[in-house]
Amino acid sequence: MIAVEGLVKSYHATRVLHGIDHAQQKGEAVVLIGPSGCGKSTFLRCLNQLEIADAGRITIDGVSIQGGRAPRSSEEREQQRQLRLRTGMVFQSFNLFPHLTVLQNVTEAPTVVQKVPLAEAETFARELLAKVGLEEKAQFYPAQLSGGQQQRVAIARALAMRPQVMLFDEPTSALDPELREEVLRVMRQLAEEGMTMMVVTHEMQFARDMADRVLFFDAGRVAEAGPPDQIFSNPQNERTREFLRCAGTR
Amino acid sequence: MSNAWRSSRVTIFLLLSLAAAPPTWAADHLQQIKASGTLLWGADAEGGAPYVYPDPQQPEKLIGFEVDLAEALAAKLGVRAKMVQNQWDQLIPALDRGNFDIILNGLELTEENQQHIAMSRPYFVYAQQIVTRKSDAGPTDLAGLARKSVGVLSYSVAERLVKELPGVDLRSYPGNVESLRDLKAGRVQAVVLDLPIALHYAKPEADLKFSGAPFAQGYYAIGVPTGDTTLMLALNAALVELTEDHTLERIYRKYGLWDERQLALKDYRTESAAPARAIPASQGWGKQLNFLLHGALTTVELSVLGMALAVVVGLGVVLVRLYGGVPLRWVAQAYVEVIRGTPLLIQLFLIYYGLPQIGIRLNPFLAGVLGLGLNYAASEAENYRAGIQSVPSGQTEAAMALGMSRWQSLQHIVLPQAFRVVIPPVTNDFIAMFKDSSIVSVITMVELTKAYGMLAMSTYNFIGLGLITAGIYFGLSYPASLFANWLERKLQYDRR
Repeated sequence: MIAVEGLVKSYHATRVLHGIDHAQQKGEAVVLIGPSGCGKSTFLRCLNQLEIADAGRITIDGVSIQGGRAPRSSEEREQQRQLRLRTGMVFQSFNLFPHLTVLQNVTEAPTVVQKVPLAEAETFARELLAKVGLEEKAQFYPAQLSGGQQQRVAIARALAMRPQVMLFDEPTSALDPELREEVLRVMRQLAEEGMTMMVVTHEMQFARDMADRVLFFDAGRVAEAGPPDQIFSNPQNERTREFLRCAGTR
Repeated sequence: MSNAWRSSRVTIFLLLSLAAAPPTWAADHLQQIKASGTLLWGADAEGGAPYVYPDPQQPEKLIGFEVDLAEALAAKLGVRAKMVQNQWDQLIPALDRGNFDIILNGLELTEENQQHIAMSRPYFVYAQQIVTRKSDAGPTDLAGLARKSVGVLSYSVAERLVKELPGVDLRSYPGNVESLRDLKAGRVQAVVLDLPIALHYAKPEADLKFSGAPFAQGYYAIGVPTGDTTLMLALNAALVELTEDHTLERIYRKYGLWDERQLALKDYRTESAAPARAIPASQGWGKQLNFLLHGALTTVELSVLGMALAVVVGLGVVLVRLYGGVPLRWVAQAYVEVIRGTPLLIQLFLIYYGLPQIGIRLNPFLAGVLGLGLNYAASEAENYRAGIQSVPSGQTEAAMALGMSRWQSLQHIVLPQAFRVVIPPVTNDFIAMFKDSSIVSVITMVELTKAYGMLAMSTYNFIGLGLITAGIYFGLSYPASLFANWLERKLQYDRR
């Protein structure tokens, strides 16, 4: 489902990704952990083209993009759009559209981008809102919701585009501990339904429970990768051990 | 005569100065003048030829028939004449304040003027002259000007006469030359001028002609502070002498102004002369209010259309500036900087008087809308830019991640959020435009401020009409602010 080869990304003179390779099966849930600034968020943002990689190739569900420069021709732009349509993104700061109701947040992209008729989009949106437990908040504005509720709407909004892959960029970092669980519950449910997921997080318990595979990022490289049992119980890499010790999971 | 350059400041200044108490003149004012050896006479050199104007050969020197007359009068009093420059429509209050000893500048001998100052016996008999293109049959009398487009000088007798004609398209010009230029260019069908102005400016033009005989005869007289009897007597005596020794005739012949009408000056008797009326003012409150409301309608039309243009053009400018390619981006930025950095007045002059030289001839209304709209577009573009940049970048990222194109995210996500942010500054500009639109009177539009000025100049009811006019402006702008407040509240989606 996902294939990444030799992904390189620099900001000015600083190289933040040193040639990442990654392959992921359909239905697999991969969790990315690692210290701040290690490049895991940048990696995720490269996958849906919010950042343009300097080199390397990304293939998602058969759509392939070569890094190097921003798309210029209309074919290149269409490629980029196709890649984005196959991925759903959930941000740390939710980024809900504050001028739209919860329902409109979920229906906006399907109606604008895919020209889905509004009634159809709304039916599906209500299904998704029910799934994340917010059906009764459909007519509320984002500012009237708690952080956890907002993040659940953001998940519904991403799902409304029927993506093949869901990308989560620290989805619970901006939330109080008691609100995190409601978001994590929704993510667990998604994983159980077989959604292909890539999650950047500091939630070690979540990683341990849910991940099919854990990637430990350090200084722009995948320092260690493997099933959660191996990473958390028997890390091979010194940096992984140190990180997990500090994260208090061992 | 008529003043040349007027501005809305003028009437406000006049209004303020009327509130000040005039100084009382000592009986020996004449003695003071003689002791100082100088007769100070107030006039406006911008009023133009042939009254008082800069010598084309020697621009620092003033010439004109009134310059010669002032010198001749001063000589009779045994003193020298010294001109004091003063905006024409502020001459009377300036005399009240004692800025100069007399007014000698085409001041009409009318009852209205005599309510504020004393006036000497007349020194010139003026009349109105219709000027048309030589090729046109053209109207030959005042009534024939009805339902025609007629150029006049702002705040002149002609303006007051023509304004009363049914269905007339009145165009008031700030200077002597512009109305004749528009006549030649076919923008107006006729121009009505004081005869001396017509003789000086229109007569030499090969393609223009005097149409019909001069009409609406009246007198120019010297303005003297009320109660200053000795000075008045001395001036009247001097004028009689100047008439009888043909000095006046000599001066008027020198400027090509002499005609048989001036013979009436000799026989003028203050007591026998019918009190000059001559100036038809719109009589009655109903008629005056109606005239003001008509001006207000023009103000509303100008502002609403101007703002609509500004809002649309400003959006185009800001989108090009923020998202356009490099050369276009520079063009948009240059537009904003140039428009912001140059006066609206100059922009209007260029649009109205400049564009015809490259073949684009706009009527005053369109030119006004265009001038206001293009000017305000620059500040709307800046308002929008601030609004767009106030939307967090996460919004665009979220939209892009959902597969929206740049344009879709702008249209559906960024602009609706920016919209609410720009409501207060845009409303502010809209209200400012209501007031700024008065500047469009320089390209002959009669809007609210100009309508007020015309009424006030003919009725001298500066305060009453001023309060009503201010009230109308307020009545127009306040609902706009209420609407903006309501809209802003309605869009407060982020209030918890």
